[in-house]
Amino acid sequence: MRKAIVHLVALGVVIAVPVTLVAVRFQWLPTSASEEFDRIQDVYWFATVMSIAIFSLVTAVVVYSVWKWRVPRDDDRDGPPIHGNTGLEIAWTAVPALLVIALGIVSAVVLSENGQAGPQPLQVRVIGQQFAWKFTYPDYGDLTSGELVLPVDREAKFTMESVDVIHSFWVPNFGQKMDAVPGIETTILVTPTRTGQFAVVCAELCGLGHATMRARARVVTQQEFDAWVKEKRA
Amino acid sequence: MTATHHDETPVTEYPPHYEPPRGPAWRLVFGPGLVRGVWMGAAGFVLGMLLVLLLRWWWSWDPVWNTEVVLVVGALTAAPIGFLAGIGAFDYWLYYVSGRPTRPEDHSGHGATSWKDYFRVNTDHKVIGIQYLVTTFVFFTIGGLMAMLFRAELAQPGLQFMDSQTYNGLVSAHATLMIFLFIIPAFAGLANFAVPLMLGAPDMAFPRLNALSYWLLPIAGIMFTASFIAPGGAFGAGWTGYAPLAEGQPLGQTFFNMGVQWAGASSILTALNFLVTIITMRAPGMTFWRMPLLVWANFTTSLLVVLATPFIAGSQFFVLFDRIMHTSFFVPEGGGYVLGYQHIFWFYSHPAVYIMMLPGFGIVSEVISSMSRKPIFGYRLMALSLMGILVLGFSVWAHHMFVAGMADWLRVPMMISTLLIAVPTGIKVFSWVATLWRGRIHLTTPMLFALGFVTMFVVGGLSGIYLGSVPIDIAASDTYFVVAHIHYVLFGGSVFTIFAGIYYWFPKMTGRMYDERLGKWHFWLTFVTFNLTFFPMHYVGLRGMPRRVFDYSEAFGDLNLIISVASFGLGASFVVFVYNVVVSWARGPVAEANPWRAQTLEWQVSSPPPVFNFDEIPQVVGGPYEYGVPGARHAILRPAREAQEVPA
Repeated sequence: MRKAIVHLVALGVVIAVPVTLVAVRFQWLPTSASEEFDRIQDVYWFATVMSIAIFSLVTAVVVYSVWKWRVPRDDDRDGPPIHGNTGLEIAWTAVPALLVIALGIVSAVVLSENGQAGPQPLQVRVIGQQFAWKFTYPDYGDLTSGELVLPVDREAKFTMESVDVIHSFWVPNFGQKMDAVPGIETTILVTPTRTGQFAVVCAELCGLGHATMRARARVVTQQEFDAWVKEKRA
Repeated sequence: MTATHHDETPVTEYPPHYEPPRGPAWRLVFGPGLVRGVWMGAAGFVLGMLLVLLLRWWWSWDPVWNTEVVLVVGALTAAPIGFLAGIGAFDYWLYYVSGRPTRPEDHSGHGATSWKDYFRVNTDHKVIGIQYLVTTFVFFTIGGLMAMLFRAELAQPGLQFMDSQTYNGLVSAHATLMIFLFIIPAFAGLANFAVPLMLGAPDMAFPRLNALSYWLLPIAGIMFTASFIAPGGAFGAGWTGYAPLAEGQPLGQTFFNMGVQWAGASSILTALNFLVTIITMRAPGMTFWRMPLLVWANFTTSLLVVLATPFIAGSQFFVLFDRIMHTSFFVPEGGGYVLGYQHIFWFYSHPAVYIMMLPGFGIVSEVISSMSRKPIFGYRLMALSLMGILVLGFSVWAHHMFVAGMADWLRVPMMISTLLIAVPTGIKVFSWVATLWRGRIHLTTPMLFALGFVTMFVVGGLSGIYLGSVPIDIAASDTYFVVAHIHYVLFGGSVFTIFAGIYYWFPKMTGRMYDERLGKWHFWLTFVTFNLTFFPMHYVGLRGMPRRVFDYSEAFGDLNLIISVASFGLGASFVVFVYNVVVSWARGPVAEANPWRAQTLEWQVSSPPPVFNFDEIPQVVGGPYEYGVPGARHAILRPAREAQEVPA
C-alpha cells in the first residue's frame, strides 16, 4: 500500500510537470492593460494552481489503477469488497469545500475592489447599436466619438446603454466586460495602466453583423488626451 | 396499467360489439400508423389555418393572411396534434373518454417482431428506448454535420461559404439539436430501456404515455431542422434565444419557440413516468438504498425536469406572444424587462445542464463498478451527492448573468453556490477513482469511455470553477473559453457517457455483441480528436475571441484552422461507431445474458429480455454492487406462481 502511494505520487508529479509547463509557457491571457485585470489575473492563477493539482491527482489515480490492476478479458475473479471509507469520504468532501470557499473569498474581494469607484472617475457613456459602438464624454460637453480614447492611469466609469438589442462591451486587454441592455443602464470600471491600441469587441450575439461590431480603444497620456479633446471639440 | 397484469392470462377475445378490422387498404389509410399520421397532420394544418383566417376575417383584421400566425397555429401547433392523432397516440384515450368500447389490451402494442414495429406507436419500454436512441442519433448526426459546416466557415477569418444569417442559424440549430434532440432524450432512451429492468418491473408505469413522450420528440426535431426552409432563414439568436434579439428574428424563430414546447412536453411526460415508475414499481425488496445508481440518477434528473422545464416553456411562450400577440414581456418600450427573459430561461437552463449530466453519472457508476469488479465506493454518499446537486442546481442560475447587468448583490451568493456544486461533484469523481483502486479492471470499450469521461469531465469541471468565479467570468464570459467549457462538460462529459451506455447495454438491447476492436478504435479516435478540437478553444477564448462570430482577428487564424481540421476528424470517428453498431446489430455474434457478469437485474434475464422482462418476479435481497462479497446476491429470481403467494 505504501509503495502504491509512492508510485502514485510520482505519477502525479509526472503528469503535473507538463501540465504546469503548458500553463506557464503559453501566454494564456492577453497582456493586462488595467488595474482590474491585474487583480483578475491573480484569481486566475489561484484557480490554475488548484486545477493543476486536482487534475493531476485524478488522472494519476486513473492511469495508475489501469496500469497496475488491469486484468485480461477471461479473468473472472472479483476485486476486494471495499464499500467505502468514512474518513476518506469526509476528507474529499471537506477539502474541496475549503478550496472552493477560499477561491470564493478571493473572488469576492477582487470583485469588490474592482467595483469600487474612486472620487472622480472619467465618465464615459457607451452606446451599443447594431453594429457599432459610440462613446460620449459627458464631462467634456457630450463629446462623441466612434473611437474610445482614455487617459492612462485615470479611472474611467463606463455607463452602458443599448438602443436595440443586447450588446456586450468588452476590451480583452482590460479584462472587463459588461452587457449593454435596452431599457436599463449598466456600469463597469476600468483603470488603464498601459498606453497603446486595443480592440473593443461586442461579446454578446446581436445579429447579422455581430462579428464585425468592433471599435478601437486608444489609451494615451493625459496631455495627449487633452489635446484629443480639444481637437474634437474644435 | 397494462403491463402489471402480465401474469394474468392474456385476453384475446373481443367483446361482441367490437368491429373486426376491415381490408388492408382501409387499414392502411384509416388505421393508426404513419400514413394516417401524414394526412391527419395535413388536415390539422388546414384546420389551424382556416381557424386563423376565419377569426381574422370575423374581427376584420387587415390583412386577413398573416404568415407568422398561420405558421404558428397551423404548422407548428395543429399539424403536430393531427400527426399524433393520426399515428394513434391518442386512440385508446379517445375511445375511453368518448365512452366507446376500448379495445381490450391484448398486448399487441408490445414488443417488436420486425423493424416495422419501431415505426408504430409501441408501448413496450424496450422498443421505446431503442426508438429514442435511434432517433437521437439521427439528430446527433444532423447537429454534427451542422457543426462541421460552420467549422469549415471558421477555418479562415472572414466570410467564405455562407451568409451571416445562415451562420447564426447553424450555430443556433447545432446547439438546439444537440441539447434537446440528443443529450436529453438519449439519456431518456437509455433510461427507458434500463430503468424498468433494473427495478424488476415489467414496464414503465404508464406505457401509453411513454409512447406519446417518444413521438413528441421527432416533431420537435423536424421543427428545429425545418426552420432552415422558413422564409428569412433559421432562428439565429443562439440556442439561448435572448430577447429582444429573438423578437426581431425572421420567421424561423417561431420554429424554435414552438419546437422547445414539443421537446419540453416530451421531457416532462417522461420524467413523470420515471418518477411514478421508480416510486411505485420497484420489485419486492428493492428499497431506495438498494437501487442501482442509474436509477437514483434518473430519479433526481426527473425531479429536475419536472420542476424546471415549465420555465423554459414559459420563456419561449412569452417571446412568441411578444412576436405575434404584441404583448411586451421583454419589450422595454412597452414596459417589458429584458433581463427577465434571462432569469426565467436560466432558471430552467442551468438545471438543464444537470439534466444533461446526472444520468451520465448513473451510467458511469454502473460501468466502473462492474468493470472494476468492485462495489461502488461510498454508495450512499454517491446517491446523496446526486440529491445535493439537485438542490444546489436550483440556486445557481444567475452565474450565467454575471455580466448581464443584473442586480449586483446576486453575484456573490450565486458564485458561492456555484462553487459549492464542485463539492458533491467532486465526491462523485473521487468515489469513481476509489472504485478503480485495487479493482480487477477490464478495459472494455464502455470502460474506456467511462474513464475518458472521468478525466475529461474533470477538465470541464475545473474550467467551470474559473467561470464560477465572478472576476474571471467577467473576463471569460461570452468567449470561446465558454465554448470549450461546455464541450468538455457536454461532449467529454455527457456524450462520452452516452457512448459508454450504448456499448454497455448494446448486448442487452440487441442480443448481439459489438466489435470490441472497432469500439476501442472509436474511443481513441474520439478522445484524441475531441481534445484537439476543444482544448485550443480555451486559449483563443481567453486571448480575446468572442463566441458566435463568423469572423475573427487574424491572430487566431492558425489555431482555428487546427480546430476545424480536428473537428472533421471528430466527425469521422463517429463513422466508426455507426459502422460498428449497424454491422454488429445485423450480424454480430449472439450475446450472452450477462456478458459483463454484472449484478443488477437487467443482466439476470435473457438478451434481449422477454417481452414482459421477467418471467419470474425478482426478490431483491441485497445491494446492486456486491462484487467480491462471498455469497452476496442482489436478487433471487423465483417462479412467478410462487411469487403470487407472497402478500404484496
